[in-house]
Amino acid sequence: MMLDAGGEDEEKWLAEGIAGLQHNAFYMHRALDSNNLRDALKYSAQMLSELRTSRLSPHKYYELYMRAFDELRKLEMFFKEETKRGCTVIDLYELVQHAGNILPRLYLLCTVGSVYIKSKEAPAKDILKDLCRNVSWVFNIPFVVSSLGVISLKSVGISCLILVRSMKDGGNWCGWLGNLEHASVGKRHCMIATQKGMVARDGDGVIDAVEFVLQNFTEMNKLWVRMQHQGPVREKEKREKERSELRDLVGKNLHVLSQIDGVDLDMYKETVLPRVLEQVVNCKDDLAQHYLMDCIIQVFPDEYHLQTLETLLSACPQLQPTVDIMTVLSQLMERFCPSFFKWKLFSKLSHAIGKVIDSQPDMPIVGAISLYVSLLTFTLRVHPDRLDYVDQVLGSCVKKLSGKPRIEDNKATKQIVALLSAPVEKYNDIDTALKLSNYPRVMDHLDHSTKKVMAVVIIQSIMKNNTHISTADKVEALFELLKGLIKDMDGTQDEELDEEDFKEEQNSVAGLVHMFYNDDPEEMLQIICTVRKHILLGGPKRLAFTVPPLIFSALKLVRSLQGHDGEAVGEDVPTTPKKIFQILNQTIEALSSVPSSELALRLYLQCAEAANDCDLEPVAYEFFTQAFILYEEEVADSKAQVTAIHLIIGTLQRMNVFGVENRDTLTHKATGYSAKLLKKPDQCRAVYACSHLFWVDDQDGIKDGERVLLCLKRALRIANAAQQMANAARGSAGPVSLFVEILNKYLYFFEKGNPQITSAAIQGLIELIVTEMQSDNSTARPAADSFFASTLRYVQFQKQKGGAVGERYEHIKV
Amino acid sequence: MNYLIGAFKPPCHIKITYSDAKTRKQASIKKENGQMTMVPLFYSQETIGGEVSIEPFHGKKVEHIGVKIELLGQIELYFDRGNFYDFTSLVRELDVPGEIYERKSYQFEFSTVEMPFESYNGVNVRLRYILKVTVSRNYVSNIVEYQEFCVRNYTPPPTINNSIKMEVGIEDCLHIEFEYNKSKYHLKDVIIGKIYFLLVRIKIKNMELEIRRRESTGSGPNTYVETETLAKFELMDGAPVRGESIPIRLFLSPYELTPTYRNINNKFSVKYYLNLVLVDEEDRRYFKQQEVTMYRLLENQ
Amino acid sequence: MVLVLALGDLHIPHRAPDLPAKFKSMLVPGKIQHIICTGNLCIKITSRHSFQEIHDYLKSLCPDLHITRGEYDEDVQYPDTKTLTIGQFKLGLCHGHQVIPWGDLDSLAMLQRQLDVDILVTGHTHQFKAYKHEGGVVINPGSATGAYSSITYDVNPSFVLMDIDGLRVVVYAHELIDGEVKVDKIDFKKASTNQSAP
Repeated sequence: MMLDAGGEDEEKWLAEGIAGLQHNAFYMHRALDSNNLRDALKYSAQMLSELRTSRLSPHKYYELYMRAFDELRKLEMFFKEETKRGCTVIDLYELVQHAGNILPRLYLLCTVGSVYIKSKEAPAKDILKDLCRNVSWVFNIPFVVSSLGVISLKSVGISCLILVRSMKDGGNWCGWLGNLEHASVGKRHCMIATQKGMVARDGDGVIDAVEFVLQNFTEMNKLWVRMQHQGPVREKEKREKERSELRDLVGKNLHVLSQIDGVDLDMYKETVLPRVLEQVVNCKDDLAQHYLMDCIIQVFPDEYHLQTLETLLSACPQLQPTVDIMTVLSQLMERFCPSFFKWKLFSKLSHAIGKVIDSQPDMPIVGAISLYVSLLTFTLRVHPDRLDYVDQVLGSCVKKLSGKPRIEDNKATKQIVALLSAPVEKYNDIDTALKLSNYPRVMDHLDHSTKKVMAVVIIQSIMKNNTHISTADKVEALFELLKGLIKDMDGTQDEELDEEDFKEEQNSVAGLVHMFYNDDPEEMLQIICTVRKHILLGGPKRLAFTVPPLIFSALKLVRSLQGHDGEAVGEDVPTTPKKIFQILNQTIEALSSVPSSELALRLYLQCAEAANDCDLEPVAYEFFTQAFILYEEEVADSKAQVTAIHLIIGTLQRMNVFGVENRDTLTHKATGYSAKLLKKPDQCRAVYACSHLFWVDDQDGIKDGERVLLCLKRALRIANAAQQMANAARGSAGPVSLFVEILNKYLYFFEKGNPQITSAAIQGLIELIVTEMQSDNSTARPAADSFFASTLRYVQFQKQKGGAVGERYEHIKV
Repeated sequence: MNYLIGAFKPPCHIKITYSDAKTRKQASIKKENGQMTMVPLFYSQETIGGEVSIEPFHGKKVEHIGVKIELLGQIELYFDRGNFYDFTSLVRELDVPGEIYERKSYQFEFSTVEMPFESYNGVNVRLRYILKVTVSRNYVSNIVEYQEFCVRNYTPPPTINNSIKMEVGIEDCLHIEFEYNKSKYHLKDVIIGKIYFLLVRIKIKNMELEIRRRESTGSGPNTYVETETLAKFELMDGAPVRGESIPIRLFLSPYELTPTYRNINNKFSVKYYLNLVLVDEEDRRYFKQQEVTMYRLLENQ
Repeated sequence: MVLVLALGDLHIPHRAPDLPAKFKSMLVPGKIQHIICTGNLCIKITSRHSFQEIHDYLKSLCPDLHITRGEYDEDVQYPDTKTLTIGQFKLGLCHGHQVIPWGDLDSLAMLQRQLDVDILVTGHTHQFKAYKHEGGVVINPGSATGAYSSITYDVNPSFVLMDIDGLRVVVYAHELIDGEVKVDKIDFKKASTNQSAP
């Protein structure tokens, strides 16, 4: 609301505020000069009332505050003199409390309070206590509804004032020495005292000082935490930003505590830490908790932390779940500890955590795990080389979890995921994690869906880091971790699965298979067998995803063997293409029964071609046979049939391993299938494609011109039939294009020197097409027209080429 | 001429002095013209004594049929201004009829005078004590001089003084519990207390504690009630949340309070209230008023 | 000047887990005006967490994405062939498994005549090729993931960037060889008379 006002308005308000402040300050000065206490109080209160504004941003507010603060110094001098003139400080102390508005009242009270302390008319301790009681009103009071920065500054301003003054003047009562500094904290420049070389003269003084700062800390933190709840929701982000800018003011209290010389280990242990932690835990705010835990660790010496590890750690499980305590702990532990000390630290930390967990049997499991997570993070950071430590932490966790029912608590599950993710992320190498014997044991405690989440995390890590898994043993261990994705878990068949999630998971497993690699064929075959063993357990839904990568992985192995195959391969050599093909065949068979017949058909053809390359005719023939069976029995969709036929013809065209008999059988079948396709145009195209089965344009390729011509003639007949059907039906895109396509095939074989294809035949075909086009008066066939035109242009082009080609084309007229 | 002058101006100067004028404490009261003046301060059952001196102007003589001094306790209701109701009236004859030629002094004393009510100057009513000297004359009007003095009465600290504790609220909107440490306060007392927010569903802007004085005069249909707010003391500036506890420390000394007067001579009453006011962002006021008894504690006690 | 990315035969995750990181770092959104993909992206997945589906990835590089269907593409929405005009050039797109013999230039030329295009882009063989043919150009961008092929041995990941400027097209063939991207430049000019031919 107010904050939305433009900067211009703010300038205006600030100017108004300053003017009001100066106006009243003027009268206050006059009253001071004439020793008029009544007026001095009246005008100083009015002056301070300018600080009640809620319209200024923190920055502008600060400007105003500093002006008021300067004036208050003059007032303080006056109060001091006033006490010499006979007005007792007690009277003054009461008088200022008569101010009707709370904010001026408190500023004045602090100002007099400082004089009061100095007067020694009452124990400083009591005065400070009283001041604190007053200030706690302030802390209890969010001053402004709309502007958060101002809230904090109004009250923090006062508390800082107290802190500054009490330290400055408290020198008398607890013996703080040294110069006071007004440190500017961040952009805010809020007043805060830093005290150098504070020396405690007596024990009581220290306790008072500690007590005071602790109280100040508690109240300040409460206020700081509640800032976030103030004001409209839409400004929350802005507020959080302001809050985080103010955090150092709160943290400063801890810094001050650490600097009080009398705060020794005992006091830290007995008083300071428990009190601070109490507030940290109770405030229930993640931002504050994270920052303050960090602060505690930063400002106090490491020796203290070592001696109070248990206290510190026992607070951790009580923090908000979003607090990233492990990072805080481990980072700082690492920083504090000299390297020679590390080994000791791990056992100490481990021991302390164990003790904390044992001593609190009621601690929720999530708390215990979060401690293990922090210990693990620490270990990974400080002892990246000590896998045994890592495993030990996981082991402790297993111990804690054992005997407990499977974890259903969401938060606990998240913590376990964090626990398990940490080593994976740290080592960027699943290899290392696979060496941790307790890793899968921890994973066993996860519920099914979390196991899957964890598995995805592991896969992602492997992918991200491009980690190659190079032995079958490791693959075996990895699959143990991934079993949530690899197969259906007991009793979860009926579980409602999200189809998309499932696909994604299985695709990630598929991608993973490519990360298993070893140059050594024997080991690679072992890997393939291991993968196969696991994925075949995956059930029908998974096979379509997981089988193809395995097939291609195996085909790659086959290809790598090709080079040194055929030479003297002893019977004892286990890794032969033949053996791999055997495995492949069985694997695809599993897929075909799923049924994913179209996919299986493609894979059979891939294998057939690979077998061709290995010169294994029976194997290749077997694969073709399998593919044909699938085609005949399983592929029913007409469109799928068309694609399958193209793949069959395309593959078969490339095969050179077959003897005449086998080849004839297969080509016969292929042409047969082609002619039986559902649609005439598809039939026609498949049949003319089959012509290539009889004319392979390389040195020892088959060149059976007659059968080529037979195919093309057959294609023409089909095109004719299609033409008649189209004439009857009208409207359907005429098959003139088919004739042009066939013409192109004629030209192809004509150029290749097939003696059966004559220029006369081509000439006839051209004329046929011209006639067809003329007789067909339907207008819209630009595609066919341009196809024909570009074909004729091609003929023209070839004619002009001259040489042998030009000669051949000589007799064709266009 | 002289005669004429004598008709407009009293022929003598009458002066009342108290025997302990030098040591007697004084209190400020508001005169009829609105100005403040200092007058001697007495407590009930004190002895009021002194001297009346009558001094004729430049050699004139004052013929009289007697001189007396009266101590009057009067209540004046402003709707009936000028009409004093005397609830206390004591007389001392000072002189028998005769003539006064020169300055003449008379000692007087009212011993252990019962003055049950305190001097009070309110909105619609005034209670005053005066010493009134009357020089009675025949045929011409009496010469009258009076002087007001102030009366205050102490009360011992009450033996029973419970705190005021109460939970109030608007259903599902605002529930607070407040506590004042006593129900009876002396005039220089400090009110200590706290307000505890049990439920806050409205945006409170600020909270203050008011001290209100309620003066009622007359009776029956002629009752006049006048309420004044004597103090507004800000307790909180901003929105509290549930569970918040706001302390109170209010010094009463800066405010011009009187003790609580209950049915003074069936003429008037003065009562005090603490009014806790919460104001929300739309400037709606929520308040709860509680009577507190004010009493005057013997100073130095 | 218009930049066209041509790629295909990714076969993710059947034959490769993902596009090479090197390629991904080169291909940044905003630079490319058109993407033509010959097909075989392979499995269509809608990604929520881990894998960014390749279709979406390409779309993020450039919203003008043209895809034809490879034999492993599950998405039957992709057409068998597609033509589009970019500047002075008419481009044809087809996966190529339908053109037998596979990868045969003369057979592809027939498809080029059929589609009546200046530039024909096909895939399937996983082997990068760029030929000038009868006044037109035939391009195969290879396999962007270097996927296994029964037709081509030792497939290196490759894709093609075409810079079309007036009557000139410069083909930049990118090939990943031993972790390094090698770029070949091939320059083609279109005879301006071709346009007005009947």
